[in-house]
Amino acid sequence: MNVLTVNDLHLEYGQGAQANPILKGVSMHLERGEVVALLGPSGSGKTTLLRAVAGLESPRAGSIDIGAQRVFDGAGGLELPAEQRNLGLVFQSYALWPHKTVFDNVAYPLKLRKAAAAEIQRRVGDVLSQLGLGHLGKRFPHQLSGGQQQRVAIARALVYNPPVILLDEPLSNLDAKLREEARAFLRELIVELGLSALMVTHDQAEAMAISDRILLLNNGKIEQQGSPQSMYQTPDTLFTAEFMGSNNRLAGASVERRGDVADIALNGIRLRGTPRGDGSAGTALIRVEDVQISATERPNALVLPLTTCMYLGDRFECLFGHVGEGVRAYSRTRLDPGSYWLEMPSEKLWVF
Amino acid sequence: MASLALQRTPADTAAPVPRARNPLDWPRGLVVLLTCAAIFVPLALIFYQSFLSAPFFMPVKTLGLDAYRFLVDDPDFWVAFRNGLLLAAGLALIAVPLGGMLAFLMTRTDLPGRSWIAPLLLVPIFVSPMVMGFGYVVAMGPVGFYTTWAAQLLGPSPWNIYSFTSIVVIAGLTHVPHVYLYASAALKSLGSDVEEAARVSGASPLRVMFNVSLPMIMPALAYAGVLVFFLGFEVFGLVLVLGDPEGHLVLTTYLYKLTNKLGTPSYHLMAAVAVCLVMVTLPLVMLQRHLLKSSNKYVSIKGKGARQKPLALGRWKWLALALIGAWLMFAIVVPLSGIVLRSFVLYWGEGVRLADVLTLQHFRDIAEQPALMRGILNTVLIGVVGGALAVLCYAGIALAMHRKSDGIARLLDYSVLVPRAVPGLLAGLAFLWVFLFVPAWLEGALKGVDAAWSMWLVEHLIPALRSLRSTIFALWLAYSVVWMAYGMRMISTALLQVGPELEEAARAVGARRAQVTRDVTLPLIRYGLLGGWLMIFLIFEREYSTGVYLLSPGTEVIGALLVSLWAGGSTDLVAALSFINIVLVAIGLGVALRFGIKLHD
Repeated sequence: MNVLTVNDLHLEYGQGAQANPILKGVSMHLERGEVVALLGPSGSGKTTLLRAVAGLESPRAGSIDIGAQRVFDGAGGLELPAEQRNLGLVFQSYALWPHKTVFDNVAYPLKLRKAAAAEIQRRVGDVLSQLGLGHLGKRFPHQLSGGQQQRVAIARALVYNPPVILLDEPLSNLDAKLREEARAFLRELIVELGLSALMVTHDQAEAMAISDRILLLNNGKIEQQGSPQSMYQTPDTLFTAEFMGSNNRLAGASVERRGDVADIALNGIRLRGTPRGDGSAGTALIRVEDVQISATERPNALVLPLTTCMYLGDRFECLFGHVGEGVRAYSRTRLDPGSYWLEMPSEKLWVF
Repeated sequence: MASLALQRTPADTAAPVPRARNPLDWPRGLVVLLTCAAIFVPLALIFYQSFLSAPFFMPVKTLGLDAYRFLVDDPDFWVAFRNGLLLAAGLALIAVPLGGMLAFLMTRTDLPGRSWIAPLLLVPIFVSPMVMGFGYVVAMGPVGFYTTWAAQLLGPSPWNIYSFTSIVVIAGLTHVPHVYLYASAALKSLGSDVEEAARVSGASPLRVMFNVSLPMIMPALAYAGVLVFFLGFEVFGLVLVLGDPEGHLVLTTYLYKLTNKLGTPSYHLMAAVAVCLVMVTLPLVMLQRHLLKSSNKYVSIKGKGARQKPLALGRWKWLALALIGAWLMFAIVVPLSGIVLRSFVLYWGEGVRLADVLTLQHFRDIAEQPALMRGILNTVLIGVVGGALAVLCYAGIALAMHRKSDGIARLLDYSVLVPRAVPGLLAGLAFLWVFLFVPAWLEGALKGVDAAWSMWLVEHLIPALRSLRSTIFALWLAYSVVWMAYGMRMISTALLQVGPELEEAARAVGARRAQVTRDVTLPLIRYGLLGGWLMIFLIFEREYSTGVYLLSPGTEVIGALLVSLWAGGSTDLVAALSFINIVLVAIGLGVALRFGIKLHD
């Protein structure tokens, strides 16, 4: 059952001649107990879509349903204000009210719903201890660390059991180390409570780690959607392939598609690849981790001199040729200077 | 899920009733309506009156350009107009360079004594110009304290305070702080990193100032220049006091003197002058708004707030200090000390010894006159209670515009600027007319309706409306409208600091607009509102011209009393009242400094 359905949503900033379209017909749904990530570069409209669902932006056309209730209908002139949509929203900046204590921040939604004082006490206490904040109720937001503030923001969004929880870049305000912990914490919480969540992020690793399904937005439209595995392993477009991982784009290669194989010519060398998508991009691309380095001759390979190796901790990232036109590949060990065969398995060498 | 069930009735789930996208917001509509009425009714009345051939209450009047024809033929009008422009231009020419320099010295150098100079710089802004003008008369006039003392050293009549040049110089020097405020705010918001980048690239401190600092605060200086030109054009008290002996007129004093020009109340002529004034000031206000917007462009380039090492002035610092000391002496110490001395002496002239004439008689005289005592009480009341009410009204208007970008918000945005263009003297006059005209007009309209309710209204509402004129409410309304643009900017500055997501978070968890305002927005700006209250208190204590035409038994305030007593020649009472006014302002300033309230934006 869908807890959230968005149908052909159009939204623009400004009016008339200066109208700047942000969403150009986005449709999506969210099933109960599912986590969907809205992924995309900045300016792709992902945050706008989230805010439109929350009722904080006014779309021009399309419809939004929460459960069975229609909350926005461009044609019917229906627009339920944000406060009547009963959604949970966690802001990127957390948006904790600085003049209220942690307890009052979390209790406020219940007060608005006219819950009895005893019930407020119990439910706020429950959710705070669930998020490991039980002892911080009397503090003010500025007395908390970033990670604690984020948990308060989540507690405030969960305390009234909204059918859908919306998360706007929930991890981007945390520093790198804390972010990994928070990612695991968030995933555990979502699974444990069986939440239905829509999350905005610009980090594909975060999206793949937390969500069941990814919607990749590009320039106000959905580029591709699917499970994290399918998005990563079988991208339909060049944009998806480039956004989801680290890639080598074979610059200057001319490509020719023949049925289910593609021929690539680069500086007189012929390589075989696999066609993907509709072929409109005319570009060959391979993930950095799929390039195999060999000191001896290999089939379907480019020969390039080693330029440098960068140590990443668990491996080396080696650059062959020059940035922009060369090839990057991972190696377990530091390589000696010289030329190497860079094998590109034909099923991993995608031609778009 | 209990709360969920509470939120959704079955009817909602089955078939949501289509709602209007923007349900009518009654409180907002009321605020907009009242605001626009308070701003535009008086203004419309001035325009209407200026095209009549006689005051609006006269039975015989025709529409026409008679009033303007009279002005065009009156040489005094042209002299006043030219003088006004000269005064404004001269004032800006003096105030802008000095204010810019002062700001640079105060914010960027190691000038000694900066911390105690800073609060003193604000004094000329908050002391009434009427009081200042009077202070110069008693301190530096032909028989002023400093004149007689200087005469012993320099010979008779060392200076002439009443010449037009003197007026321009005094006005210019007392307006230096206005420029200083904007220039120093701009310099402070300018990150030191842009200057450090220039230093690292090889620029000397002087080059940094000319190539980086000053060009980057150019928008602020331009804004301040237009502001002081505008303030110069509507100067009233200073010219009224200092220009009288030699008969120097500017438009505002010309307007004031018109009252007696034809023997009868020449409202139509006054209205025509008023329209001429507004025609000059309104474009200036709009220009200010434009400049303020463009100066905001630079705010976004503000750098990191790292502590900056002040520029070492070396031995120049004593020269700088001496210049600032001279300015402080002339713009603050001389006029204020003159008033303090004058309020405690029986009389003053050449050869009088100070110790022989000291007295408290003037204050006893004030205590014996109920009208003056009422004036003092009213001044305190309008500052404290009226100030609080005004801040509440401004907050209401600001909230009606808050986070909205529709036509109504834009309309309010421009409307609140309009009173800024109407000098206080005119605004007081316009409100006097409103309180005279609106009841008369209503009565006429209601008498035409032959119904019981209209008779009841004629008997009860109309007298109530008429009696409003002689209550302090009339004065409060005029004050609040005159200072609306100023108060609104303070409130909106506070509102701007409230992050939009704090309000959106409240809406997302289910708070209605009114609840968001009550539970999130207002608590977050409460210190801004308190600071605004204090600022409005200071301004209402200082205000004098708005009350001039509204002065009647019951509406006396110190500012208007000063103007009327000065016209009557009672120097002793003016001195004592000025002293009391200064004390009130000083108390307000002291509270402000004690609580670290920002006195400017």
